[in-house]
Amino acid sequence: MLDLFYQFITNTGYYLADYRHVIMIIVGCIFLYLGTAKKYEPLLLVPIGFGILVGNVPFFKGFGIGIYESNSVLHYLYFGVTTGVYPSIVFLGLGAMTDFSSLLANPKLMLLGAAAQMGIYFTLLGALFFGFLPKEAASIAIIGGADGPTSIFLTAKLAPHLIGPIAIAAYSYMALIPVIQPPIMRLLTSRTERLIRMPLGREVSKKELVIFPVVGVLLCCFLAPTALPLLGMLFLGNFLKECGVVNRLAGTAQSAIIDTATIFLGFTVGASTQGDVFLTPKALGIFCLGAVAFSIATASGVIFGKIMNLFLKEKINPLLGAAGVSAVPGSAREVHVMGLKEDPTNFLLMHGMACNSSGVIGSAICAGILWSFFI
Amino acid sequence: MFGIENITNNNGWAMAVVGATTVFLGLVVLSFVISQIHKILDLWENRGKRHAHPEKPLKDKGPAFQEQRLPTASELCSIYTPLVGQLKEPFQLVQLFEKTQEMDLPHPHLSIKYLQEAEILVAQGDGTFIWDKQKAN
Repeated sequence: MLDLFYQFITNTGYYLADYRHVIMIIVGCIFLYLGTAKKYEPLLLVPIGFGILVGNVPFFKGFGIGIYESNSVLHYLYFGVTTGVYPSIVFLGLGAMTDFSSLLANPKLMLLGAAAQMGIYFTLLGALFFGFLPKEAASIAIIGGADGPTSIFLTAKLAPHLIGPIAIAAYSYMALIPVIQPPIMRLLTSRTERLIRMPLGREVSKKELVIFPVVGVLLCCFLAPTALPLLGMLFLGNFLKECGVVNRLAGTAQSAIIDTATIFLGFTVGASTQGDVFLTPKALGIFCLGAVAFSIATASGVIFGKIMNLFLKEKINPLLGAAGVSAVPGSAREVHVMGLKEDPTNFLLMHGMACNSSGVIGSAICAGILWSFFI
Repeated sequence: MFGIENITNNNGWAMAVVGATTVFLGLVVLSFVISQIHKILDLWENRGKRHAHPEKPLKDKGPAFQEQRLPTASELCSIYTPLVGQLKEPFQLVQLFEKTQEMDLPHPHLSIKYLQEAEILVAQGDGTFIWDKQKAN
């Protein structure tokens, strides 16, 4: 009987746990705290945080329990991550939820979204500099796009062994936008620049909104066909929303479908961070480079906004450049909040959303381009 | 391998430059195209109106309303005498009207009414008329 009891004890998580599991469980709890108490990106941090807890419960290997063991339930759920299925489905829902009218009303804001992608390429060089392999460097660089699904998609294609650290880094920095972006924005702009008011955009017709996803998918995907799984779904979702004849489908895409994909994506990415696999020097390097990527992306957008002002008659508020990263709607909200701090009557949210949506398109194109370099 | 050497050996510089340039140009083109969509739509939607209401007025056309001038009595007689000559007197006004239609004469009703009032066309009381040659001359 004692033998049986001892055998049972040795199979419990308490016996099998080591310090790495404990560290990751603390990280998971921090995610849950930030998501629930601080309300930092709760839709992402709650499933990821809980996934980290689940993924770091130690178990006796070989029984098909863990996410990395074939034939386990978690492994099958993780299949949507490793094949890039979940990111594509998230993009479908994202498209169905996105209103591109502010971008159509002021197309030059798209350039800020393009400029913010420079962070990706600086980080690519940085990652190569620190000795990462080219495919790993490209996967790390895409964190600069500040787009979780895009980062996961590209990493699944180029460096599947890094999905966990890269996904966690991308989502962490997206959640930490209120901490990371404001100091950079404040450092790179003067008060006069932060006070610049943006004119109201023209009224955008329904026909324009319907035509945009068609034009967008053709132009972007002809340029980077490897971005099709992301941009094809993004623009499909947007077309469903705007065409007005399939409201049921659009409604499902922007609610049930994206919610389901987000739950499974977040949970399985969290569960993939098993301490023994996750806590490596490489993962730490990825976190550092991710922070650099995100900061450079923010700075690139702001600086490009200032450069544009040298040539424009009607000045734009350079804070909007920070919204060029594709963290929707976090970065637009941060730009709006900083604008309001300087002038409580200056509303930048809609303009920020225009930059945000162009950032989503830009980072997906970047992912396609980076992938195509290694095909 | 680390440092600049790793970047160079793995084609990092080229990837960064080509990638950044491509995404930037792509979004510039997309931005330009979407800035033109509403203009193209305007042109398309107004194409019918442009054909129906040309902006330039036609020089050959006169004013929209022009006062119509009736011929004088002598002019009418010179026109109508040959027509009446083809009819057997007395004749009905319908017959004279048909002749004016055949000859495509302008405003026949007004002209016939004028000839009646001038008593050049004389009513016989049974719905027929004769041509007063003396007055017509």
